[in-house]
Amino acid sequence: MTLALLVTLLTLTVLKATPIIFAALGGTISERSGVVNIGLEGMMAAGAFGAVYATSATGNPVVGVIAGILAGAFFGFVLGVAATRLKVDQIVAGTGINLLCIGGAAYALVVLFHQQGSSPQVASLGTADVWLIVLAFALAIALHAFLWLTPWGLRLRAIGENPRAVLAAGIDPLRVRMLAVTISGALAGLGGAFLSVGELNIYSDGMTAGRGFIALAAVIFGRWTPLGATLAALCFGFFEALQFILQGRVAWLPSDAMQALPYVAAVIALAGATGRVRAPESDGVPF
Amino acid sequence: METGRAMSVALALRGIRKTFPGVVAVDGVDLDVRRGEIHALVGENGAGKSTLARIAFGELHADAGSVEAHGTVGLVHQHFELVGRLRVWQNVLLGREPRTGWRIDTRAARARVTHLAQRNGLSIDPDALVEDLPVGMRQRVELLRELERDPAVLLLDEPTAALAPGEIDAFFATIEQLAHNGTAVLVVTHKLNEVMEHAQRVTVMRHGKIVEQTQIARTSAREIAQAMVGGELPAIAQRAATVLAPCLSIRDLRTAGAAGLRGVDLDVRRGEIVGIAGVEGNGQSALADAIAGMITHAGTVAFASPHTTVGIVPQDRAREALVLGWSLVENVAFSRFQNARMHAGPFVNFANARTDAQTIAQRFDVRAATLDVPVATLSGGNQQKIVVGRALVDHPEFLLAYNPTRGIDVGAAALVQSRLVQARNDGAAILLISFELDEILALADRVLVLFNGSIAGAFDGASADRGELGRLMAGGA
Amino acid sequence: MKSLMDRARGARGALGALAIALVLITAAMLVAGASPIDGFAALFAGALGGTHQLGETLVQATALLFPALGIALAFRAGLFNIGAEGQLLVGGLAAGALGANVHLAPALAAVIMLGGGALAGGVWGGIAGWLKARFGANEIIATLMLNFIAASLTGYLVAGPLKSSPAGGPETAPLAHAYWLPVLLPYTRLSIALLIALAIAALLHVVLTRTVFGYELRAIGEAPEAARRAGISLQRMALLALASSGAIAGLGGASIVAGELHRFNTQLSPGYGYTAIAVALVGDLDARWICVAAFAFGILETGGLAMQAVANIPKDAIHVIEGVIVVLLAARRYVAARAAIAS
Repeated sequence: MTLALLVTLLTLTVLKATPIIFAALGGTISERSGVVNIGLEGMMAAGAFGAVYATSATGNPVVGVIAGILAGAFFGFVLGVAATRLKVDQIVAGTGINLLCIGGAAYALVVLFHQQGSSPQVASLGTADVWLIVLAFALAIALHAFLWLTPWGLRLRAIGENPRAVLAAGIDPLRVRMLAVTISGALAGLGGAFLSVGELNIYSDGMTAGRGFIALAAVIFGRWTPLGATLAALCFGFFEALQFILQGRVAWLPSDAMQALPYVAAVIALAGATGRVRAPESDGVPF
Repeated sequence: METGRAMSVALALRGIRKTFPGVVAVDGVDLDVRRGEIHALVGENGAGKSTLARIAFGELHADAGSVEAHGTVGLVHQHFELVGRLRVWQNVLLGREPRTGWRIDTRAARARVTHLAQRNGLSIDPDALVEDLPVGMRQRVELLRELERDPAVLLLDEPTAALAPGEIDAFFATIEQLAHNGTAVLVVTHKLNEVMEHAQRVTVMRHGKIVEQTQIARTSAREIAQAMVGGELPAIAQRAATVLAPCLSIRDLRTAGAAGLRGVDLDVRRGEIVGIAGVEGNGQSALADAIAGMITHAGTVAFASPHTTVGIVPQDRAREALVLGWSLVENVAFSRFQNARMHAGPFVNFANARTDAQTIAQRFDVRAATLDVPVATLSGGNQQKIVVGRALVDHPEFLLAYNPTRGIDVGAAALVQSRLVQARNDGAAILLISFELDEILALADRVLVLFNGSIAGAFDGASADRGELGRLMAGGA
Repeated sequence: MKSLMDRARGARGALGALAIALVLITAAMLVAGASPIDGFAALFAGALGGTHQLGETLVQATALLFPALGIALAFRAGLFNIGAEGQLLVGGLAAGALGANVHLAPALAAVIMLGGGALAGGVWGGIAGWLKARFGANEIIATLMLNFIAASLTGYLVAGPLKSSPAGGPETAPLAHAYWLPVLLPYTRLSIALLIALAIAALLHVVLTRTVFGYELRAIGEAPEAARRAGISLQRMALLALASSGAIAGLGGASIVAGELHRFNTQLSPGYGYTAIAVALVGDLDARWICVAAFAFGILETGGLAMQAVANIPKDAIHVIEGVIVVLLAARRYVAARAAIAS
């Protein structure tokens, strides 16, 4: 393997990992507050589509990224309301949000762009996407510091462990959870926006391709910590990059089968990580 | 403006009413707690006393009535509301963390907790992880968390439920000191000896209403008990002479973990009840789980014959024994599928399950509209009767009963205890694990004290001395 | 008495979901500027207006019914299997590969194809079950990942080793006509797969409500600790539940191949495995109501195409509506559970 190839591999790794990092950070903050966000995948799709639509409307991909964040945050808020005020089954509600967002994007493609399957090309961030990559890593560090050094980080973690314990301190755990899930959606939306107007310049059906779920695996593999989840996301990004590099270069490796590589890696990581670590005590338990 | 007497009232509850779906939990209660007094609130399980405490604290909202508190109200929960995976100082200061800039000032936080603990005579390591602490220490953390807010009124919900007799005295010494300094203390409890010893006034609740309120000096434990149950205490079945025969033999039983067993030997014979006395967290769960085959262990757990029939009453009926959404009939079938009567080929034998459910409902006076309503709709007492009844319905030669009367009313408890004694009279070997020393003393033919995973002492049930048992339960040599 | 209560609850759920769907579709039509009357007329005419339409609706309902029943089985055990899509694919592939390569009496061949599909789906679900039982791996993520792996794997196999002919597309060789499942409704694509699906539904209902296995399965879903203490192995049941869940979905994939496509290709499922989650939830995880829900969704899927043409509403609107229904149903299930405990 030449040096150039190695550089390509590493660059691609970071590029492929970035959307997963955003979503995994969202998953971490949500689960730390006690809500399992199965809807990350749908929120990514909403962010990806929202970014493309706003970019097409304004011509400015930065506006697109902001729209993507807002779109993800909206569905995060929906899940937050469902999981806190309505106390519904978080998994069922998250699944509904996935169906809703992915189906909704397909519907909106037809309604807004009069096209099926994918959107027309829009302006992309181009090389400016490097700032989003920097942002992903900065957010990982900031979130880590937030959770372990600040009063609100301590309270958020306490709510994920035992929401009743913070009641005595005069904090409403439901409001904190709602906020955490909304932020989680915003981060997933940002990850989706990176996919559509950062890495590419279109939205196409199925483009999130399970990355929201890979991000959930990264949360577990990263032991529910922002830095751990980031490392795990990099690891999955590496396999996605490797698959790209190997495709075409190694003739005897069938490219169809190679596409399974990141998913196989996620399954293996999931099996390996579980049991060694504990989820927050009240993760997924309505309060 | 206020008279001296009125000024001394720190907490005033007026006309409090609270209903939950289907039950009136608190029904028009007036209660004053004064500065400097220890006021006991007693009543049976389900009388509404915990609900009242949570309303006074502000955790629940009353449907009607007013809560007037002069100053902060603190509540020490019966089931501690702590975060196990956080440190002591983090739990105590949650929501009130000292800061330097945007960060928590951990040094100041530790100092504050250490100082608070010293001032109240409660020594503790502020850096310990709460989940590593024994139960008594966890209660100390919960108490410190409330004291940090300098409460004018301190509510204690069953504070001694998890303490050994010796720890109880130390605990009340701290509480009396707080009262002496002007805190108003309301103790919710069902332990009348503590009420008589430490409280100045007592309020008795029954079915959501206050049935008696008086000075301790003007009443007796017997009077309070009668007020609690609304009449004479129900009697328990008498023990009859039995023929003893070997049944269960445990040798050098060891299990892993902080609350594991460290070499336990014991025998239970048919026709006797062996009581395991001890404070929660000294290996009782490991003992029960090892006998039930739920955990791995070293040493032997041997029954007299490989065909010995076994019945088990687990500690937590809602989580470990019942499927709450299912009916009595389904629950009776569910845990006994190994029993040939409960299935016909691959199918559930509902006819036999219904017969057995009827037997249990009759023998244990289970009050349910039909045998087909979900057990979730039944009271805790009725659920527990089902669990005990199911364990006894096949007349097992050995019965393991772990806190069989926990959290149920006196009437249901007396019925369950009577059925245990009758099973013993009929020749069953019974191992009774209970955190209630009174229950052990009332039922057991022999008493073993479990402390820190070992048997610390053995007594004959008739001659067991309360003080000596208490000393061993607290780790006295 | 209890079954009557259950029935009322299931009916309320299915009817409530249907009502929500109708309201949403009406709203979508109004937004698109179409007359709801014309739109609904088109939808129902497209789905039920003739033998051909009815047949197509039942084809869709059958394709949804298999995975929905499998999903319900797993859900009742407390296991969230969202991998029906992958299980359909591997089931279909196994049937296609077997059908193209075995030479047997037609009836036997059908049994081999369907059995092979069920086995493949069972193995695929069983992988997630094994990961759960052996490592405690989250089955939601595992089953979803296995969907993508199944898509890659089947895509690879039909593009390479199992390809029909060097010049052909990515699909297995066509089945011999004799191997096709018999047609149920003449002049339509509806095969006896519908009857097989209904038989599976009946079987599932009996298993869940009458048998020891069914009770054990539901016990691990509703009260895992009580189940463990009653001597039920959670690991064994998780493996069995996910494997049987996958087998039912795999059988569905095989029935699409044997009854409808008559060969396997990677376009076998336009997302039946995902829509089936909504079907299972709308049917209240009750096999009887899932049959009704599958039929209703079949109407939407088939009539949606006609509606698209007449009322100018994209067919994808149907999927948005499905998502909304699932979110709302999550709330309804909660309310129902609360009511049951309070009453």
